[in-house]
Amino acid sequence: MHDVTAAQQIARQVLVTAQEQGAGRVERISLALGAMTMLDPESLEFWLEQILRGTIAEGAQVRIEVLPLRVRCNACGFEGEAPVPDDPIYHLMPFVPACPECGAQGLEVLGGGECIVESIRVQRAEVGSADG
Amino acid sequence: MADTPDGGESLDIVLDVDLSKRTSELADENLALLDAHGVTAIDVLGSVGSGKTTLIMGMVAALKQRRRIAVIAGDITTRIDAGRIEAEGVPVLQIQTGGACHLDANLVRTALGRLDLDSIDLLIIENVGNLICPAGFPIGAHQRLVVLSVTEGPYMAIKHPVMVRQADVAVINKIDLAEAMEVSVEQLAADVRSVNPEIEVVATCARAGQGIDDVIAALGL
Repeated sequence: MHDVTAAQQIARQVLVTAQEQGAGRVERISLALGAMTMLDPESLEFWLEQILRGTIAEGAQVRIEVLPLRVRCNACGFEGEAPVPDDPIYHLMPFVPACPECGAQGLEVLGGGECIVESIRVQRAEVGSADG
Repeated sequence: MADTPDGGESLDIVLDVDLSKRTSELADENLALLDAHGVTAIDVLGSVGSGKTTLIMGMVAALKQRRRIAVIAGDITTRIDAGRIEAEGVPVLQIQTGGACHLDANLVRTALGRLDLDSIDLLIIENVGNLICPAGFPIGAHQRLVVLSVTEGPYMAIKHPVMVRQADVAVINKIDLAEAMEVSVEQLAADVRSVNPEIEVVATCARAGQGIDDVIAALGL
């Protein structure tokens, strides 16, 4: 269910910004998603497409960049990226990050929880119609 | 600027808005609002059927003479839990999430706007029955109380480390059924502490009122 909620928030953000800028159409939505958000990029894209139907962003291309999990290990002092399994089934068994150096689980998460609307590419209404 | 397939002019607009960060900011705002009104808020989390509502009813019954309490009950649908707690004679506000598996800071903010915060000093928030998703959604509470029950089996703590790590107090409920379930309360408590060494662990049988005072003490209420 997160995916729907997140998609709604993203859609709202996109449409409000597009309207403020007087856009006629939204062509592309660029997102950055932390690897530990419990959001599934495929599902998020699907819901976004559904929610944006009938709006000026219908059919917009959705680009999702996945941001790595970044941790600091309190045990050995390691600081950097930690691997996240490709296909975590979060709703059955949440993934617990371990230090890639020493295996400890006492990690401080520095990054990987982001859900960022980075940018949108819009077509300006007046310019588009003049050209057409 | 770039050309589009139909020859129009395109413009890239940078937003750079982190919606996750905004969730945390909203939670901080909720906390500030509660502080401004002198209200302590407890977020109660646990699986469906772990005994959250029964525990809250017990806490309300034990505390209502000396604390001015309100309860927010989060549920996907139905007012069953809200009705049960209302029977204790304190105001209960129901949030129906309409399908969402967790409360979020925005829902709680709306609920806070509907409560008379000056007439209460303790707010108990029953989150949606789910040990996984709410871990990612801070709502703006002073403490998190996680309820595990022996009927959920012996592995609840190690299967839900994200939640256990975020909690301040863990309740192991339904200890009267531990033997029948062949679950060791001691082992469950040890599991909880192995995931979160700082956490307070309390064993209860909320239905019979056993251990409620210990929960209240662990929360410093």
